[in-house]
Amino acid sequence: MHALYQFVAGPLAWAAFIVFLGGLLYRLIRLLILVRNREPFISSYMSWRYGLRSIVHWLTPFGTVRWRTMPVLTVVTFVFHLFLLITPIFLLSHIVLWDEAWGLTWWALPDVLADIMCAIVIACCVFFAVRRSTQPEVRFVTDSSDYLILLLTAAPFLTGFVAYHQWTEGAWMTILHMFSGELMLALLPFTRLGHMLLGWLTRAYMGSEFGGVRHARDW
Amino acid sequence: MNRMLFWGMTILSIAVAVCTAFGQEDMELVDNGAFDRPQRPPAIFEHDAHNEMAGLDDCAECHHLYDESGQKLEGESSEDQMCADCHELKDVGSKPGLRKAFHNNCKGCHVAQEKGPIACAQCHVR
Repeated sequence: MHALYQFVAGPLAWAAFIVFLGGLLYRLIRLLILVRNREPFISSYMSWRYGLRSIVHWLTPFGTVRWRTMPVLTVVTFVFHLFLLITPIFLLSHIVLWDEAWGLTWWALPDVLADIMCAIVIACCVFFAVRRSTQPEVRFVTDSSDYLILLLTAAPFLTGFVAYHQWTEGAWMTILHMFSGELMLALLPFTRLGHMLLGWLTRAYMGSEFGGVRHARDW
Repeated sequence: MNRMLFWGMTILSIAVAVCTAFGQEDMELVDNGAFDRPQRPPAIFEHDAHNEMAGLDDCAECHHLYDESGQKLEGESSEDQMCADCHELKDVGSKPGLRKAFHNNCKGCHVAQEKGPIACAQCHVR
């Protein structure tokens, strides 16, 4: 168990972070090459102003028509993404490990609050899964990979929640927690979770085309 | 003479009882009183049972002592002091803060020896 813990907490964590960052860079470079080879005219109307204008509107809760027509989905989407990012970064147990490894510390969430935020992230994943399987228009564009990436995202939170509440004995749930987080990071660039980076570019492109070519709003 | 013996024995018995009650023989939890608002329960630690199982005879293995320049003083130990007497809540230079000192001392050794608890919940049991 000790050897496995040390492997998952050490080399595997490094590998996951390297694949995560390297993979995102690879996706970005590949996308830029693809644009240059296939549709170089895009660069003639890519615009910081229209791109950022679109991003700001879509980043604002209820700031677009689409966000306003589906208020429940809007709230769940915003809460999910915010908590998904904030909870692991400001979790005391994670900061303790960073502090002990590299001497890095920053402000931490109280454990009770982080626990609630973690439960909300899991509940949001359940919401997305139920929505995918029950709403006909979503089911039509859903395949098994959509459920798989939902599971991939929920797994670190689920295992972290169980480890924190000590529903299991020993270190294996913590090891599983670390492993699931590393798996999510490493696969992120190569699945549709890559929207973490590429979503911004898609939005900027849409904003530029709507703003500079069609002279219309895209929100 | 008998009276002196009686009082002597009584005082000795009380002293032994007090030492046993407040000594580390019965210690089951690490004292976390120095922390402001501890987020986790204090770590479970049965001093004597632990040392017997770990085959630890040298007190200074855990109760270490460092001089002002950060050099470990070999052959000296600090079991007459609280960890918090030296370790502040935050790191001071190369001297780790109290939480890190506890974790380094316990988990650090467990990792190195490949024995004992390593995950959060194994020590901070609810």
